[in-house]
Amino acid sequence: MTNANNMTAEETKLQGILAAYLTSRKEEAPATPHLDHDTLAAFTEGTLNERETAPAVSHLVECSYCRHITAELVRLDLAFADEPMMARTGSETEKPTKVSQVLSGLFEKIFGSSENAVFAHEEKKDDEKKEDDEKQN
Amino acid sequence: MQPETRMDDALQRECEERIVAIYARCVENQPNFGVSEDALTASLQRSLQRFLGSGGHTVSPDGVSDFLDQIQADDLHLALACANGNERAWWEFDQQHRSYMERVARHLAKTEADAQDVIDSVYVELYGTKVVDGERISKFSTYSGRGSIRGWLRTVIWHSLVDLHRAGHDEVSLDEMTETIGEGAAHASFADQPADGESEMIEEITRERYRKATVSAIASAFAGLDDHEKLLLLYYHVENLKLREIAKMCENESSPLRGWFQRKTQTRETGGRTHESTVMRWLEKSYARVLELFRKELGESHSFSADEIRQCVELATQDLTTGNIFAGLSTG
Repeated sequence: MTNANNMTAEETKLQGILAAYLTSRKEEAPATPHLDHDTLAAFTEGTLNERETAPAVSHLVECSYCRHITAELVRLDLAFADEPMMARTGSETEKPTKVSQVLSGLFEKIFGSSENAVFAHEEKKDDEKKEDDEKQN
Repeated sequence: MQPETRMDDALQRECEERIVAIYARCVENQPNFGVSEDALTASLQRSLQRFLGSGGHTVSPDGVSDFLDQIQADDLHLALACANGNERAWWEFDQQHRSYMERVARHLAKTEADAQDVIDSVYVELYGTKVVDGERISKFSTYSGRGSIRGWLRTVIWHSLVDLHRAGHDEVSLDEMTETIGEGAAHASFADQPADGESEMIEEITRERYRKATVSAIASAFAGLDDHEKLLLLYYHVENLKLREIAKMCENESSPLRGWFQRKTQTRETGGRTHESTVMRWLEKSYARVLELFRKELGESHSFSADEIRQCVELATQDLTTGNIFAGLSTG
């Protein structure tokens, strides 16, 4: 509970009554759909703009599920607050072989041997490839 | 699906210019991601439509500029490239975020095996194994750039862990899943004292009247608060967030939550972090407001005198030591 130094005795008692009420009240299903990952993450980081925050706040008041997620995300945010971002690598010479290996390994675990895996990757059309080459040059 | 909000010419022009500038900057930072201007534009336009459609008043070109400027453009560029399956982008993503994701997963999961399962499952989701109309559906396509990609990844990992937990247990309702913390009210009923004699019976009837009025008045007082105040109180009392955790949520200087409370309490902190003491002041203001509404409700709807109101508070406080006077509530 908060430090009651700035609160009157009556406010302090009401704080206890209010706490008991809030933890007991059962919420009806929210009137608006659950917030998506994107909105939840942006809200928790405080990067959602004011226009979008108002409906998000209204939903979170009604929805214990989404509210609980945001509470967990704040705790996670604090736990990892000092994690540095890796410096971006701009090197042209480093080859991105690791990702293919990573993904192959993952699909092998899920689908068995990688020969059986079907990568849902569409081959680029010729003019797209040409465009990419031009961009790289 | 929301109907598209039409933009006037000035707004349209502002958008187009901003998006072109954003794209140029992204490509300059990462020329090999292979994301087309059309793809970035489409993503930003979708976010813009949501932004324009979410409030009542019209938005000025400056408002649109501010919105677009706040987009985490480099993160969005990375996400779009990964959604396309660009190897370079995936390599960058793996380099920058994998170890972080593993640490988050270990922090949340009970076992190392669970943590690894979650990471594997998240990677598969991010890459996308479903193909619809010839197009692979990657989870990255749901990221809009309104928050950081790391914040978004935390949400994805958290959800993935919930799904993993669900898969290993019997069907659990959403409500049950959120019951892990902060719900610990006792479920005792009113303390039933057998009335012994007429005067005790009258006293008990009066006490019952006070109890019912208190329950009704506190519900009404809470309902009379603004949503931001309600959310603050719910975070503190139901989700059991600590003051520093709430402060963290309001740390961003442009956070609308922070702005709202600063306007409401007429305080203004500049230069970064919100202090715990500031959050405490916000809470105290909210309690004062609840008390004001509570007294008003008891005075007006129940015609209680000041002394009776004081007795209601005393009685409820005493009852709380023996049980929860709000047990059996249906809705708030």
